[in-house]
Amino acid sequence: MIPFEFEYFRPETAEDAVRLYHELAQSGLEPVYYGGGSELLTMARAGNRRFGAVIDVKAIPECAAVEEEGDKVYFGSAATLGAIERSGLFPLLGRTGARIADHTMQLRITLGGNIAGTIRYREAVLPLIIADASMEVYTPDGAQSVSIHQVFSGRLDLPPGALLVGCRVAKEYARARHGHVKKTKSEKIDYPVATVCALDADGYLRFAVSGVHENPFRDLTLEEIFNDTRTVPRLRADKIVEMVRPGAVSDVLGSAEYRLFTFKRALMEIFAMEREGAMV
Amino acid sequence: MKVTLAGDTVRRKDARSKVSGSALYTDDHRVPGMLTAKIVTSTCAHGLIRRIETSRAAAVEGVRAILTGADAAMLCGPLLADRPALARGKVRYFGEPVALVVAESDAAAAQAALLVEVEYEPLGFVLTPSEALRPGAPLVHETLGAYKKMVDEIYPEPGSNVCDRIRLVKGDAQKELLNCHTVIDAYYTHPPTDHVAMETRAAQASIDADGVITITTSTQAPHEVQKEIASLFGVDMGKVHVTAPYVGGAFGGKAGVDLEILAVLASRAVGGRPVRIANMREEDIASSPCGAGAEVYVRLGADGSGKFRALEMRVLLDTGAYADMGPRIARAILADCTGPYNIEHVFCECVTVYTNHTYATSLRGFGHVTSTFCIERTVDKMAASLRRDPAALRAMNLVRPGDVAPTNFTITESMLGNPGACLEAVKKLIKWDDGCVRQEGKLVYAKGLAVFWKTSSSPPDAGSSAVVIFNDDGSVTLQVGCVEIGPAMRTTAAQICAAALGMDVQNVHVSMPVSTAAAPRHWKTVASMTTFLLGRAILSAVADAKEQLGRLAALSMRCAPEDLEVHGGRVFRKSDPAQFVEIKSICRGFKFQNGNTVGGRVIGRGSVTMQNLTTLDRFTGHGRAGPYWTVGAQAVEVLYDTSDHSFRILKAATVLDAGKVMNPEAAHAVVRGGMGMGLSQATREGMEFDPSGRPLDTSLRTYKVMHFSQTPEYLTQFVETPNAEGPFGARGIAEHGALGMGAALANALSKAAGVQLDELPVTPEKIWLKRSEKPL
Repeated sequence: MIPFEFEYFRPETAEDAVRLYHELAQSGLEPVYYGGGSELLTMARAGNRRFGAVIDVKAIPECAAVEEEGDKVYFGSAATLGAIERSGLFPLLGRTGARIADHTMQLRITLGGNIAGTIRYREAVLPLIIADASMEVYTPDGAQSVSIHQVFSGRLDLPPGALLVGCRVAKEYARARHGHVKKTKSEKIDYPVATVCALDADGYLRFAVSGVHENPFRDLTLEEIFNDTRTVPRLRADKIVEMVRPGAVSDVLGSAEYRLFTFKRALMEIFAMEREGAMV
Repeated sequence: MKVTLAGDTVRRKDARSKVSGSALYTDDHRVPGMLTAKIVTSTCAHGLIRRIETSRAAAVEGVRAILTGADAAMLCGPLLADRPALARGKVRYFGEPVALVVAESDAAAAQAALLVEVEYEPLGFVLTPSEALRPGAPLVHETLGAYKKMVDEIYPEPGSNVCDRIRLVKGDAQKELLNCHTVIDAYYTHPPTDHVAMETRAAQASIDADGVITITTSTQAPHEVQKEIASLFGVDMGKVHVTAPYVGGAFGGKAGVDLEILAVLASRAVGGRPVRIANMREEDIASSPCGAGAEVYVRLGADGSGKFRALEMRVLLDTGAYADMGPRIARAILADCTGPYNIEHVFCECVTVYTNHTYATSLRGFGHVTSTFCIERTVDKMAASLRRDPAALRAMNLVRPGDVAPTNFTITESMLGNPGACLEAVKKLIKWDDGCVRQEGKLVYAKGLAVFWKTSSSPPDAGSSAVVIFNDDGSVTLQVGCVEIGPAMRTTAAQICAAALGMDVQNVHVSMPVSTAAAPRHWKTVASMTTFLLGRAILSAVADAKEQLGRLAALSMRCAPEDLEVHGGRVFRKSDPAQFVEIKSICRGFKFQNGNTVGGRVIGRGSVTMQNLTTLDRFTGHGRAGPYWTVGAQAVEVLYDTSDHSFRILKAATVLDAGKVMNPEAAHAVVRGGMGMGLSQATREGMEFDPSGRPLDTSLRTYKVMHFSQTPEYLTQFVETPNAEGPFGARGIAEHGALGMGAALANALSKAAGVQLDELPVTPEKIWLKRSEKPL
């Protein structure tokens, strides 16, 4: 039982949604955008989150869409992880999403919810970062398209009331050879101790990481080390681990030292995939 | 008429209701005018309550009452009355109920609960038994000496955190260990765990104008609830009616009296109006009782040939903030401490210790998961030290009929069953002789074994009763007090009745829900004792019914009752089966030709109690804890990845001696369910706390249980050595699948990883840590 009263709105356009948000915020009602609700509802029920109104974005066509657009693929922010995987349009994103939750929850958790939520892992963002996704955002000034790198560095940083409408990725990246490794504490479906997504961009491997630090990251310096063919993979991995060490998290899922150990294993597994042609 | 036999697979009587979703559980019941009660819980692990402010909460529209400890003066507890229903003066664990809001709606209750303000003055706290036993440790119960003992055999030590201490002495273990060829010393721990029943706890109560208290509750023990509520509220038991509908899993966590007290307090505060209370998952984990944690020291000595000569064991049982069933779990460990081995010299001490987290109650295995883990890990260490095959070392030490039990009485075959046959059979299932360790590149396949035994450890006067009533159409209504909590005991009850009467189980109807107003008491639906105790009561009731049928039929057939037999819906002449009467024509009396009727409705009644049980002597442990054992052997095969220490459980096998398998498919299912639970606990489960004593994993987001897709291939098999006093020779089997899984798994992984895994749960990180500690 959610222990407070709140209003529910279901706009049919992004413009209406954003306008509604600002109106509600101005009247002091504390609005939130609402996709699958797995985070909002459970936290509200447990008394950890409060809001005055939810703006359900699932009826906005651009938010729900999953489609090809010429040489790009598009995923609406209200598209579920399950729908994204089923579409087959961006296999790395599908695979990454598939390991985030059980099937039942995959039919509910949305791309936008996973990226914009407070739970720190945000694994669905990893493939988008390394694919140079462009983010479709709607603000009171209208629709805008920005590079993910401008609005995401660990967390999604948009002005209050801006709505993430969807993400667009070039097909050459959506179809690129890729690898995904996720290490958990024990149970297969769980928050990550370390998740690494990698993508082959014209022979250069890009990678992004979740779970090891407080927030997900992609670091170009680390990528250079990752691709430095003058050094053996093991030494490249060691160097990357040392550079990542300062921000490593210790919590119930694992100690910082263990995280770094699994992170190194994940990197070695990506190298092995590369070597053995297992990245498809 | 089709006749159901013991040993037939019978489909569960509740199958369709449950699978279709139409089965009703406690919180599904609603009546007009029903209020909702919600607990306000402590945010302090151990502290004095300085102030409780309820005015803002009371102002919420729809709130009808707010109770605190001042409104609930009684102390509760089945062994030691140490627990207030709502905290009084101090809180002893994070999550302890400190106030109760009663409101017209769920929403109002939830809103108001958030507005109750409580101010604590924190005290030092302890989270493990060893912390609690350190000199100068904060006392969880300063008033330990003042509590009422509900049973004589409990020995709290005021001025300490020791709730109870008992010992077992057989021979002279200390002396014998000095002479042993090989001695293994080990230390084991596991944390408290949660029951994680699918249905969280729920209860409803109302009080009518005559003072009759009516309760509906998700419980394993409706008659125990009846007794305790009557006692706490000062009314005759006849004025307390408790009903248990279907229960969505319990595993021991619903065998006590907890939410029911709050429901009655709430109803009393609103003039007797019906009140419901239902736990959120977070409350079920942090506020309601858990499964006990333990720290155990084991010292096992053997001679040169591998014969176990002596055992010393010291168990520190973590009972949490209140005693509840902790001391009886400790006693159960004590009684079976050696495992199913013949060890002549034994010293065991079990200390039940208070700590500042939610209190421990019964959990599947009742201490035997703990003791099996400790003994079986030690046996594997002994095997490694002696360079013996772990299976052969076990086989040569297994207890046999004629040996003396740890609590000092002679064991017979009927009491024991055949552990050797179980071990041999499980070896075949897991293909033990093909090798127990194999490396393939970075992967290692490994197998581990465990053997177990368990007896019931009930009170010596635990009993059960049954009433068999014939309906006009010859079908039977069976009134029994056992609750359907999952293992299909209602179906088993019907099957035993049907088999004894020579009827079709489809025509035997077990009344549901279970109501204390109509069903005679079954001790509690716990301890894997339902088939045994209730089964015997049913057989006794059937015998009584048959005797009545015989007397009535004899009038009709003009012969002596001893010449008649009951079977297949008929009473017939043994010498000439063609001479018979149908049961339905005589089951409410015999009618002469002219209409005169004699006799009356056939109502068979049977009552039984446990026999020859005693309490255990406090200093020697001598006595008899249970009527028989169920023994078994288990094995687990794992695939371990040396590169990241992750592992998959490939196969899990159990062979246990069921005495008589009553319902084969149900028997395999309940054993597998136990195995799944045991594996989950051993690999994923354990309560963890932050530096302020707050539990960290109170929802299923972070308290992980094994998911269905991660389950291994289950291999289950039964051996049948009759239990002479069990119905059709049966022994209880409901808990046992869980008992040795952790041990077998840890044995397999210890072998695979080359380290000693002595702490549950086993995780890749723990293996990695152990491997990092190893000298190169």
